[in-house]
Amino acid sequence: MIGGEAIQTEIIQKIRSGGQTELGMIYEEYRTEFLQWITKEYDCSMDDGKDMYQLAILIFYDNIKRGKLEHLVSSVKTYLFGIGKNLAKDNMRKEKKFIPITQEKWIKEYLIDEPDQPVDENIFAMAKKALAQLGQPCQRLIELFYYENKNMQEITEAMQYKNPETAKNQKCKCMARLRKLVDEEIAKNSNILNHEAY
Amino acid sequence: MKPTDDDINLVERYFDAELSAEELSHFNSRVEHDEAFKALFQREKIIIGAIRNQGLIDNLQYLKSVEEKIQGNQSHSTGLGRNWYYYAAAAVVAILIAITYLLPGKQSSEELFASYFAPYPNVFEPTVRGNELTTDRSQAFQAYERKDYQTAASGFKALLNVNEEPGILLLLGNSNLMLGNTKEAQENFVTLINKYDDLDLQAKWFLSLSYLRSGDKDSARKILEELGEAEISYASKAKELLEKVN
Repeated sequence: MIGGEAIQTEIIQKIRSGGQTELGMIYEEYRTEFLQWITKEYDCSMDDGKDMYQLAILIFYDNIKRGKLEHLVSSVKTYLFGIGKNLAKDNMRKEKKFIPITQEKWIKEYLIDEPDQPVDENIFAMAKKALAQLGQPCQRLIELFYYENKNMQEITEAMQYKNPETAKNQKCKCMARLRKLVDEEIAKNSNILNHEAY
Repeated sequence: MKPTDDDINLVERYFDAELSAEELSHFNSRVEHDEAFKALFQREKIIIGAIRNQGLIDNLQYLKSVEEKIQGNQSHSTGLGRNWYYYAAAAVVAILIAITYLLPGKQSSEELFASYFAPYPNVFEPTVRGNELTTDRSQAFQAYERKDYQTAASGFKALLNVNEEPGILLLLGNSNLMLGNTKEAQENFVTLINKYDDLDLQAKWFLSLSYLRSGDKDSARKILEELGEAEISYASKAKELLEKVN
């Protein structure tokens, strides 16, 4: 196993400044052990184990990107197994027995940080539709900023902008365009509803 | 009422963590008391949620492609792994016949070993090209895959000192067989058989081969008979399959 506090910190730093390559490396490093453990511990199939491992890796990655995880007191392996354990237990608590996880549904629920304030599903669906219409490079730029939590200097380098100010301007323009597309989707939707009402 | 550009800008700066403490306090108060502003805030939150959702979905798809690549590599590199049971089961019968009826006439036990021994594939942690990691653990597996058994054996021994794992014991035994360290290999396989339920068949198979190599035909026969009895239906299935393949 990858060991030592310095190495754990190095892994976190690499993921923090990296992207999918680092994500894939971590995935491969702990995959076999995780699958052996989770399938035995929770009596689930290999495919269910893989679904949970993929979610565990995504949470680990997301926690690092959002600055929630800067240092590890244990090891990456222990951390990942801990996430896996919570995922399996949460799944079993809801369903009383282990049933396969729907990853997309789970990801959507994971993003809701205030469970008492339900997200407007319709607007969320329209925002997703608008995002798909936004196109590149805007989509990539705002994903780097809001999902990967990259700063403007990192975005400048990744997307080869002239300087961070240009990147920032571009990001504001992309968000303005996205809001406009969302508004159009909402308007389109309310027109359909009005037509249906008549 | 259409939101003003200033309000839109303010909400964007909130989510970009650019507001001062004073601005933040004013902002929170407006969210609490101004319904239109609250709606604007909620919409921006959903938009950013959709962006993050897309990022997660993109990375999930990426992980699925990595998984597919691993599966592809495993089915390629473990061609022997999957057929291993069939091969070993058929070989058990063949070696038993050879030991019982043909020796010492035709083949020596060393020759039988050479005919039937092939190192067990690394099905435990196969290396994916281009994504090699430089940990002691991955280096030991990588050395095994490139047939550098000396480096692999040293690496596996070090790993076993920290934590004993059946897969590593099996590969260490195989490395020792390749290096001619027959006695050490036998110790590895005996430990594996005595301590773990996993990989029992494999360990017994390689232990019998290691006995053949050291000329201890009686011990080899004993294990092979045990394997033959336990896997008798398996062995006939293997022969049937092999006939079909041929």
